[in-house]
Amino acid sequence: MNPVSRRAFLKSSVAVTAATTFPRTRLSAAGQEPDGVPPAAPQTTISLRVNSERHTLEVEDRWTLVELLRDHLQLTGTKVGCDRGECGACTVHLDGMPVYSCSQLAVWADGREVTTVEGLADGVHLDPLQQAFIDGDGPQCGFCTSGQLMSAKAVVMTNPNPTEDEVRQGMAGNICRCSNYNRYVAAVMSRPPQQASRLDPLATVGVSHPRIDARERVTGLAQYTGDVAVPDMLYARVIRSPHPHARITRIDTTHALEMPGVHVVLTRQQCDVTWSSGDSHNPRYLFNNPVRFVGDPVAAVAAIDRHTAEAALKVIDVDYEPLDFVLDHEEALLSGIVEVQPGGNLSPRRDGERLPEIYQRGDLDVGFAASDVIVEETYVSKHHNNAQMEPRSAVAQWTGDQLTLWSPTQGISNTRRDMARDLDIPPERVRVICQYMGGGFGNKNQNQDSDLIAAVLAREAGRPVKLELTRKEDFLGVHGRWPTTQHYKIGASRDGTLQALQLRGYSGMGPHRKSSGGIAGIELFRCPNVRREVSPVYTNMTVAANFRGPAYPQGVWGIESVMDQLAHELAIDPLDFHLHNLTREYNDETPYTSWSLRECITEGADRFDWANRWRQPNGRTDRVARGVGMAIGMFAARLGRSSAVLRLEQNHLWLHIGVTDIGTATKTAMAQIAAEAMDMNLTDVTVVWGDTDQCPYSVGESGSRTTTHTGHAIIQAAEDLKRQIAALNGALGDRPLIAQATPEPTIEGMARYASAAHFVEIEVDTELGGIAVMQYLAMHESGRIINPLTAESQIKGGVTMGIGMALHEELVYDRATGVPVNPGYYGAKVMTHLDAPEIEVHFIEPIDTFGPYSAKNVGEPPVIPVVAAIGNAVFNATGRRIKELPMTRTRVVEALA
Amino acid sequence: MRRLTNVNPASLVESVERLTADGTRAAVVGGGTDLLGMIKDDLVPTEVLVNLKGLTERGSLDLVETEPVGIRIGGLVTLAQLSTHPLVTAQYRGLAEAAGSAATPQIRNVGTVAGNICQRPWCWYFRQNFPCYKHGGNRCFSRVGENEFNAIFGGGPSYIVHPSDTAPALITLGANFRIVGPSGERVISASDFFTLPRTDVSRENILEPNEVLANIYVPSTPGLRSTYAKVLDREAWTHAVTSVALALEMDGNVVSRASIVLGGVAPIPWPLKAVEELLAGQRITESLAAEAGRLAVDGAQPLSKNGYKVTLTENLVRNTLQSLANEV
Ligand SMILES: Cc1cc2nc3c(=O)[nH]c(=O)nc-3n(C[C@H](O)[C@H](O)[C@H](O)COP(=O)(O)OP(=O)(O)OC[C@H]3O[C@@H](n4cnc5c(N)ncnc54)[C@H](O)[C@@H]3O)c2cc1C
Ligand code: FES
Ligand code: FES
Repeated sequence: MNPVSRRAFLKSSVAVTAATTFPRTRLSAAGQEPDGVPPAAPQTTISLRVNSERHTLEVEDRWTLVELLRDHLQLTGTKVGCDRGECGACTVHLDGMPVYSCSQLAVWADGREVTTVEGLADGVHLDPLQQAFIDGDGPQCGFCTSGQLMSAKAVVMTNPNPTEDEVRQGMAGNICRCSNYNRYVAAVMSRPPQQASRLDPLATVGVSHPRIDARERVTGLAQYTGDVAVPDMLYARVIRSPHPHARITRIDTTHALEMPGVHVVLTRQQCDVTWSSGDSHNPRYLFNNPVRFVGDPVAAVAAIDRHTAEAALKVIDVDYEPLDFVLDHEEALLSGIVEVQPGGNLSPRRDGERLPEIYQRGDLDVGFAASDVIVEETYVSKHHNNAQMEPRSAVAQWTGDQLTLWSPTQGISNTRRDMARDLDIPPERVRVICQYMGGGFGNKNQNQDSDLIAAVLAREAGRPVKLELTRKEDFLGVHGRWPTTQHYKIGASRDGTLQALQLRGYSGMGPHRKSSGGIAGIELFRCPNVRREVSPVYTNMTVAANFRGPAYPQGVWGIESVMDQLAHELAIDPLDFHLHNLTREYNDETPYTSWSLRECITEGADRFDWANRWRQPNGRTDRVARGVGMAIGMFAARLGRSSAVLRLEQNHLWLHIGVTDIGTATKTAMAQIAAEAMDMNLTDVTVVWGDTDQCPYSVGESGSRTTTHTGHAIIQAAEDLKRQIAALNGALGDRPLIAQATPEPTIEGMARYASAAHFVEIEVDTELGGIAVMQYLAMHESGRIINPLTAESQIKGGVTMGIGMALHEELVYDRATGVPVNPGYYGAKVMTHLDAPEIEVHFIEPIDTFGPYSAKNVGEPPVIPVVAAIGNAVFNATGRRIKELPMTRTRVVEALA
Repeated sequence: MRRLTNVNPASLVESVERLTADGTRAAVVGGGTDLLGMIKDDLVPTEVLVNLKGLTERGSLDLVETEPVGIRIGGLVTLAQLSTHPLVTAQYRGLAEAAGSAATPQIRNVGTVAGNICQRPWCWYFRQNFPCYKHGGNRCFSRVGENEFNAIFGGGPSYIVHPSDTAPALITLGANFRIVGPSGERVISASDFFTLPRTDVSRENILEPNEVLANIYVPSTPGLRSTYAKVLDREAWTHAVTSVALALEMDGNVVSRASIVLGGVAPIPWPLKAVEELLAGQRITESLAAEAGRLAVDGAQPLSKNGYKVTLTENLVRNTLQSLANEV
């Protein structure tokens, strides 16, 4: 428990301007200005048709088309993911052609015809594409879906029978960060999905079902946080530090406060609320001084509309005294380097000691002495962003001392707990609502500083406040994957048996450490002598924390590359090397509840025809070099506490669970489990979710835990409900029955893991430095698959994301100034429809009775082996290894030089 | 966003008058796909948008038309139109390919060819508002910074690369630009349009702030083959890491005249005069193509992180030349 988190809400009173209530829209505000309303911006009367309906309205010349649609016509199905023409979420048709509505002014639509996602369906009759997206599991989080639909619609309008390539080309301008590209294309091509469970399906569990909320996701009706509008709502914006490390010597907010329409300006002087889940070791305030990274919040404004809030930011004067800064995590540990946090740059362990995290067994000296071959190599991975399609946002509303917070969170229960703690109010006074959210991949696990900033602004303003981060703020102010440097030394005897395994690693956490910072992967191998020493280090880069499979993808890339190299030096097929050296017990000591890693490898290899496709790399210099690679991964499938409430009324089951469904189809899986447990049809189950006032505690959709934790709770509640029914001896009648359960299952002395083996064939263009994925096969064991359709989508998406990590993504810093130079989708080069290959997915399904109906997890495992598999394929193709991510053309050319 | 005033002038003349009256506060806007983003990011001071798409007297500004000796392309013609227009695809494949390779369908549906030619640099430092030469400052941060995508030719004092895909193609096709300004109109060759930073670091072309790129004339040349090849860092939505526009006038299997211009490697579309001379009067063999590739990068001056562009460019020029020459 962090002692500084329980603080007075505000140190002193906050500057507040006239607290009168102003009209929200000022469409008629030209001429005489009421007091406190900013003078009208230039306006024009336009006339346009939107979804066949004619509108004549006065618009400000600066309004973008998407702003008109969302803020003023309440057509919120069209989303904003970047506001810069870099993502496609805002795609609408203008005179029948897809355009980015964020990059068009509303005045330019004068006299034109606009069609949005809301205009696709004909009353209750969906467009055939919408139906195909439902049946083919197009939307995961759904935030990109309206844009995908509008582009797909344009393709089929001009060409009813497009080829797959034409579909991809037509949809090339629509990013899906859940990376469900295969599904979207297949749906447009009217190719039905095939996946089915290998086990005999039960009545509902194990049967493919479209998401129960797919209709909302394809019609634009699903309400995301940014779509929430409450009466009298103000808009907030945040000023962020342009310096990587600086002391703020003065902030002058006078001009901002004098601006008509500005209600509150908050700086550290008025607000010392801490964001406790933003750092588990040091105090992290909402506004910090010194500021420690480019993007650190400095002040926030709430004003009558988004433009006034933005204008106010520009007249807040901040004087900074720049301090020395450090970006590199190894350099940060040298003596004489600036301290990012008091006490030094090595982040303390849980016990407070300033020492690396160390795991050790056996004796390395003995191991290396027994080794005939020793490989020593260093691998460097980079900071890259979660880049979920929905930028961080929040709407906060106080009713008396009761806070309602709409937030795109991965866990309403955790967010409520965290908000109450940070605001120093009892949890029952906080209500958190998250009905739909546009992905997070780990950066929306707890409450966010944006939630707190909105809440504090709203409290001070006495009015609700909406805060939406820009894409750039989301890249810099939320968090991404931690960069690492991994020094390995690994030895094996001539027969290919591992003897010693040493990792000395460094993780750059930015100036705040939320959690882990680990480098995982060596536990995939059996070895008598092991030492892993990992130092999480403070730097002045942006903050790093959880991102899908947190400690694994980069760690597995490192260890699997070294293993591949070792196999090569021993002249052993990497497949055989793996089978020989695989983990059999967790850390060679704890048995697994079920263990299918070996089967994943062997079956995957058979399906991929590894035996005939793998050749010793020959270092040839063909123009196009082909190669194959493989890698493995595991991820803990934990058990633990979560709750469920079941209410049976008139033969209908209401399932209350505190999940939010981050795109993983959790709601659907939970409904399937409930239907199965109660022997009911899925259509007789209604899920009540995403609202702490209506749902009990759920573990939070992070760590791939919901299916196991909350699934168990549902089964247990169902058992209770069935007992109640039985006790009534058929005299149930109309009486509602309620059951609830909060089990906390544990596994003593055993480890429970999902496992995976991936196989890939790539082509390296040795002249132009490009790497193209030609075939990808992902073999997974995730226990019993509850919903084969949506589970396969998870795997496809995770793999595709991993390919982006391998080949494209890095947040690049200017070394001289400490300023990131490429925040955003354009700079990060996030995968597009044209980059995403077809991912073939297979599941092994063992019976593992520790999970609900034997289920384990599917969310995080698929991203884990990807970078490693691709790296090994590059070696197989070219005889060269790329030891720094991402594997861009520069690095390919350098490696081949 | 800051306060903006959108103006729909009746004619080009009126556009120019408005631009002249409002000085740096005003800018011409075509599709707005580049300008709007720059305004949002405070990269330019624009407050008044002179909206060419709102012209009541459009004349030929949004048409592709035949001329006695070629075609005339309106400055407002979108990249999507350009990449699919039968007059363009039939005779000027390189231009169609270049237009079709830019950005994404949504941007091509509104982005105009004039806007594409006049788009500002996409150097990370410029786009992140570093106080560089392009923002009136006195240094180029990329010179010793993150210069993976910056210039290997013609750099100094600024090392931006010219981002347009259509510009190199237009130069190889011998295009001329019709420019309308306060003192009437002028026609200038596309190859004279672009400005090196050492001539004037504040701009990328010779247009004055109150001039409008109105039309593009492309002559027709019998026996011309053209192509545009682009290397991207992902398969869509990024500017060229390096690209080559190539046009060959063939006499049987002998090149009578070659025109070759690189994109993405220099502050202007980078003409390869020496390569053109090498090829004239020759049959393109494997070894000649290889020599052309080597000559293409002769004199390249890579920065600390963009040496790979030299390799890529050499290989791209060689391969493109060979495949275009081998087409029947
Ligand atoms: C994410 C992204 C990726 C992109 N990728 C590519 C790419 O791969 N290749 C590529 O070539 N381009 C690319 N672009 C640029 C895109 O092609 C241009 O934005 C578009 O072509 C500009 O056209 P526009 O009409 O929208 O220009 P506008 O935004 O309207 O104008 C751009 C600039 O040109 C000036 N201008 C416009 N019209 C005229 C005129 N008639 N006379 C004088 N000046 C004028 C404007 O004042 C402004 O400075 C990309 C853009 C984005 C946002
Ligand atoms: S919001 Fe318009 S393209 Fe991203
Ligand atoms: S479904 Fe595409 S971004 Fe989530």
